[in-house]
Amino acid sequence: MFGYMGKILRINLTKGKITEEPLNENVARKFIGGRGLGAHILFNELKPGINPLGPENKLVVATGVITGIPFPGNSGLNVMAKSPLTGIWGEATAKGFFGPELKATGYDAIIIEGKAETPVYLWIHDSEAEIKDASRLWGKPTREVQKIIKAELKDDRVQVGCIGIAGENLVRFANIMFGFNHFAGRTGMGAVMGSKNLKAIAVRGTGRARYAHEEKLVDLLIEKLISKEALSGPYFPDGLFKYGSLADLGYWQETGRLPTMNFRKSLFPGYENLTAETLTSSPYIIRHNTCPHCTVGCNRITKANAPYKLDPEYATPEYESTAALSTLCMNDNLVATLKAIELCNKYGMDTMSTGVTIAFAMECYEKGKITKKDTDGLDLTWGNHEAIVQLVEQIARKQGIGNLLAEGSRKAAEKLGGGAEEFAMHVKGMEFPLHDARGLKGHGLGIATSNRGACHLQVETDDMFEGQLAPDIGIDEKTFPKEHRDRLYAGPEKVKIVKIIGDLFATFDSLVICKWTVYPCGGYKTSTLVDVVATATGWDFTVDELMKTGERIINLCRAFNAREGITRKDDKLPKRFSEPLPEGPYKGEAFPEDVFERMLSQLYKLRGWDEKTGIPTRKKLEELELRYVADNLETLGIISSPKRKR
Amino acid sequence: MSEKFVVCNSDKCLGCGICEFVCSATKDKSLNPSFSRIRQVNFEPIGSMAIACLLCEEPSCVAVCSRDALLKDEKGVIRVDEYKCNGCGWCIRACEFGAITLHPTKKAVMTCDLCDGDPECVKHCPFEDALTYATIEEVAHKLRKEAVDNMLRVIKAGAKSSS
Repeated sequence: MFGYMGKILRINLTKGKITEEPLNENVARKFIGGRGLGAHILFNELKPGINPLGPENKLVVATGVITGIPFPGNSGLNVMAKSPLTGIWGEATAKGFFGPELKATGYDAIIIEGKAETPVYLWIHDSEAEIKDASRLWGKPTREVQKIIKAELKDDRVQVGCIGIAGENLVRFANIMFGFNHFAGRTGMGAVMGSKNLKAIAVRGTGRARYAHEEKLVDLLIEKLISKEALSGPYFPDGLFKYGSLADLGYWQETGRLPTMNFRKSLFPGYENLTAETLTSSPYIIRHNTCPHCTVGCNRITKANAPYKLDPEYATPEYESTAALSTLCMNDNLVATLKAIELCNKYGMDTMSTGVTIAFAMECYEKGKITKKDTDGLDLTWGNHEAIVQLVEQIARKQGIGNLLAEGSRKAAEKLGGGAEEFAMHVKGMEFPLHDARGLKGHGLGIATSNRGACHLQVETDDMFEGQLAPDIGIDEKTFPKEHRDRLYAGPEKVKIVKIIGDLFATFDSLVICKWTVYPCGGYKTSTLVDVVATATGWDFTVDELMKTGERIINLCRAFNAREGITRKDDKLPKRFSEPLPEGPYKGEAFPEDVFERMLSQLYKLRGWDEKTGIPTRKKLEELELRYVADNLETLGIISSPKRKR
Repeated sequence: MSEKFVVCNSDKCLGCGICEFVCSATKDKSLNPSFSRIRQVNFEPIGSMAIACLLCEEPSCVAVCSRDALLKDEKGVIRVDEYKCNGCGWCIRACEFGAITLHPTKKAVMTCDLCDGDPECVKHCPFEDALTYATIEEVAHKLRKEAVDNMLRVIKAGAKSSS
């Protein structure tokens, strides 16, 4: 099989048993790796209703069919399990050097089952795997774990994915650090590792996949993908390198959509202290950081001495992290924000969920749902940066009020009760990204319907297509005239874009490609990506097959969620977004519930899902070669059998 | 050392490895970076650097070769005679910079030949000034210019704030 390594590694931590399985060729093509492959494995192997933090949950780490081919953005891996934060489909991608190294060990994916009796780590190298003792690593911060393992294995080229104390303590939004500050950030995959007593996964390989047409592939990469012209859209070449994703902060402020005060406001008076320009001209940036074979270099490493001491091993700001821990909590102190990010990274905790949960706590404090008695005297007044930094510590250690907040905003709100639920900004239990849905109608619909809860990376439309098109995936001027691509437009054409991009992005998380480097975001064309897949694998792969694959993966994950009880009632935005924006250029703009429900019905219809339940129909599943999924849902009584049709 | 060679500026290099890929692709039509004549080293979080042949004045690799397989040509480039070389690796051990590697499939070593004066790695390096093709004197001149530029900025800023 070309492109893939052709093997899957299965590790049962309860039994200490390691086995190898061949990758089925039909599955390999139908799911293209990453999210697709993991969804196929977990749908078949996980029983609905299991405890995400129990030994019966499984963790899949998977690379894609083209992982290892050197070009910008192509360095991902996807981690999947049932999420302890949401109780539904959980997944997170990480880029960096780990994915390609994992593949070079000879495996396309690893499946981790059961629970080790004592802390362990996995050591996978050139088709061999061992379970090793990690008791001396327990309690250690992420980067330290990586260094100790490299020293222990006497090879500094080993790549390590590991959890910090947040994962050990089962903080429901704990993440996994892969290599130097690349994170599988969301849905609490780090807590799943922690629940299995698995501290780290170390990989080192010298294997190479075989390619159908290697010489042609080399020419394609040189001509179309690694040239400086390849990434020449509006975000390149200067934007992302010069300012990183933090450039968004100033942009959202200028356009009146900067999430502020737990989404109650959309402009932040102190934003100038936090912009990319401010950070770039500050003495805090020591250098940029990059993923392998990427021409962008969007990541940056910071250092400071006051008012907080920043450790460059961890302090790597980007937009979502920064906004979550600053503007959303009304904090205008840049170094304090960087400090909070540093601690999240050190302890292995999703910066976004952490920030949104802290903003939730601050609102509860303002409204008297949490008092000084609950916080052991900590003053959670909006903007108190010392409290924010302190809360990050407490959440990771599950100390004081941190014990409640470590459950995530939805569960914390349920425990507090008395209307606190309204302050928890989440969808399906995952904290909202730093994008105000009122000023982004398509994106808002995408976030509400995403399979992993509130995620901004499942669909991006709106602003992105105002200035550009993507004709190779059907987004052209004729089909979608300018007025239908407007950020505030909420008509049926916008819903169509949401479906197209949803399908496309599902393939990006399967291949596993960085979304910033591919065309809709301004990078190389989707058709070029398809050429790479076809040249590498020898498949007669087309854009249509890619899009159908994406749709198949979306439906499979949706079916996974349907088994966990997700229906139309869960596809909703927090109530706050139906209230008008109080200020700025879009003052008065809301996302009314009736508009949202209308868009939702339209999306279900386009997707071939039952309009009342939001569950994929047998017809759609069979059309996507997912008959076994339809059969399974029918057996469980989630979809009705054709005979008993109403 | 008046010859030009491939120089990496560790302040600008991010360790992406595109130079390795381009070299493997150019020399062996391969996607495998172990075919590369330029190799990158990452030291997180401080820095990264790519290393290729430095065109030493008196190359120890040439001196230690017992089969005369390595020779320095008139442009300063170390040429490997693949028929004479048996891949013993003495030259690899003699080079203090790790700039020589064993070819993964041939029984011979390989080192940077500067792509006949137009190095592909330099052309494709995505980060400005990370890789340059220059003589050591040009490198020094640039460093001096940067130092003076920095000093002038500080003085000007000082003059501004005191006025």
